[in-house]
Amino acid sequence: MNTIETTNLVHAFSEKEIALQGINMQVPEGAIYGFLGPNGAGKTTTLRLLLGLLKKQQGTISFFGKPFEQNRIATLQKVGSLIESPSIYAHLTATENLAVLQKIYQCPKQRIAEVLELVGLSGTGKKKAGKFSLGMKQRLSIAIAMLNDPSILILDEPTNGLDPNGIIEMRELLKRLNQEKKITILISSHLLSEIEKLVTHVGIIHKGNMMFQGTLPELISKQQQTSHLSIGTSDNGRALSIINDQQLNAKITAEKIILPLLPKEKIVQMNELLVKNNIGVFEITTVKNDLETIFMDLIK
Amino acid sequence: MITSFIHSFQSELIKKRRTAASWLMLMSALFMPALIIFMRMISFDSTYKEVGLKHFWEMIWFRNWAAMGMFFLPLSIILFASLITNLEFKNNTWKQLHTTPQSLTVIFFSKFAVIMLMLIQLFIVFNIGIYLSAIVPSVLFRAVAFPAQPFPFYPYLKGSFKFFIDCLPIVALQYLLSLMFKNFIVPIAAGFGLLVASLLAMNWKYGYLVPYTYCPMNFKENQGKIDPSIHLHTCALIYFVVFMIAAYILYIRKKEKG
Ligand SMILES: Nc1ncnc2c1ncn2[C@@H]1O[C@H](COP(=O)(O)OP(=O)(O)OP(=O)(O)O)[C@@H](O)[C@H]1O
Ligand SMILES: [Mg+2]
Repeated sequence: MNTIETTNLVHAFSEKEIALQGINMQVPEGAIYGFLGPNGAGKTTTLRLLLGLLKKQQGTISFFGKPFEQNRIATLQKVGSLIESPSIYAHLTATENLAVLQKIYQCPKQRIAEVLELVGLSGTGKKKAGKFSLGMKQRLSIAIAMLNDPSILILDEPTNGLDPNGIIEMRELLKRLNQEKKITILISSHLLSEIEKLVTHVGIIHKGNMMFQGTLPELISKQQQTSHLSIGTSDNGRALSIINDQQLNAKITAEKIILPLLPKEKIVQMNELLVKNNIGVFEITTVKNDLETIFMDLIK
Repeated sequence: MITSFIHSFQSELIKKRRTAASWLMLMSALFMPALIIFMRMISFDSTYKEVGLKHFWEMIWFRNWAAMGMFFLPLSIILFASLITNLEFKNNTWKQLHTTPQSLTVIFFSKFAVIMLMLIQLFIVFNIGIYLSAIVPSVLFRAVAFPAQPFPFYPYLKGSFKFFIDCLPIVALQYLLSLMFKNFIVPIAAGFGLLVASLLAMNWKYGYLVPYTYCPMNFKENQGKIDPSIHLHTCALIYFVVFMIAAYILYIRKKEKG
């Protein structure tokens, strides 16, 4: 069963500006789902809809297989969230900020010290949150999201403002929460490289459309499919017909012959074949797309 | 629902800590009493005589309430309502508050309850202030006797209660405006505008229909200058209920909740 599922989620802020054009999102139980997309793609809009911060216009949203609207309070009890910029009372200390929410969640008081410890903010004492650095505010926001011991975490760019060390710590923390407590995590980001080491599933959104959704291995196999060989010869026209006689689907682009990736032995054979036909081969390269290139291709 | 409300209310009280709310309440409650104590101390002659008057307590009441009812009370309400709601706008915290597991109704009423609590505190402190403005000169100067008449507890309570009812439309409309506008200048400016308009409307035939006039109208009523067929306090209550319902509906229907 999917922990979070949306079907055909459409949202328009105004008649002209359609932010989401039918998002189908499936976050399986226990997944760490990376929600990727460039600025303005619709990530925050999707997450705000999931949490009921925007009025739903079209489509369905369900958590644990139940529609969100009818189970709003029961669902929110199990969700921890961080949406965009930190949401913190500047005139209160870290502890007081958490106490505000502890009263509502009615979780044990010692949870406050626990989550502060978890994000490394135990020592801030009487310092007001308004005086925190951006990274400290972000850490406090993460503590807030974890206060009620949620079974789902929805985090919108949580690494925003964190230093490299903070990013690594955060990644470790999320991995641990996912493995030890079986928390399902939905995390958005601009950069695939930033969350590639963390996620099990990926959704790529661009201009309000879901361009790809699947497991990380599925995305990697997509990467292999788009990797190719590039060959430079003295007579590309003849070379092309020889190669295509071998049932290889080659074509000429930018003075190079481009064909799908082949095993090593096949490359050697093909080279011999070309040389035998008196064609000079001066270059054979494999062009491997990294995940980032795939991502860029998807959002072109 | 009730327990959820209590928890939410407690949470709202934590947020109010260290804000200007309590200072604001104390200043506005004690400004007139302090001024009156000062005036009575420098005009010793009249202070010496007036304590023996039959209408002494009535006089003290009127002196304190005149500026309070026309100005400080409405002003305080305008500021209280803005302060409580602006806390969420300023800190970008509506979104966190609206993803907590509680109904919007509970959030709406627990914020309202905090404003009402501040208002009640204002009334209590102000009444203590009135009492002090009556007896402090007697405590400080041997020559000034304590008031001859006993403290009129019941009329004071009744008078305060009337003002309380009369200011409720202001509470509700300011709450509505403060919830709707992120920029706190809007509710404050609108509040001032309505306050000035209501003072100007005091002598107009239909002035009693202007929702912020009931506090100043209270004085006219005491002087018997109001047509007895017009029930000022009932009008105030009706406005209060209407504004509250409007505020609730607008809040619940808000498209963007953070
Ligand atoms: N409150 C709003 N009113 C009008 N338009 C909005 C509003 N919020 C977002 N949009 C528009 O919706 C689109 C999607 O925005 P969204 O914030 O979801 O993007 P995002 O993927 O979160 O981007 P980023 O990576 O920059 O955070 C944008 O074109 C944006 O201009
Ligand atoms: Mg965003």
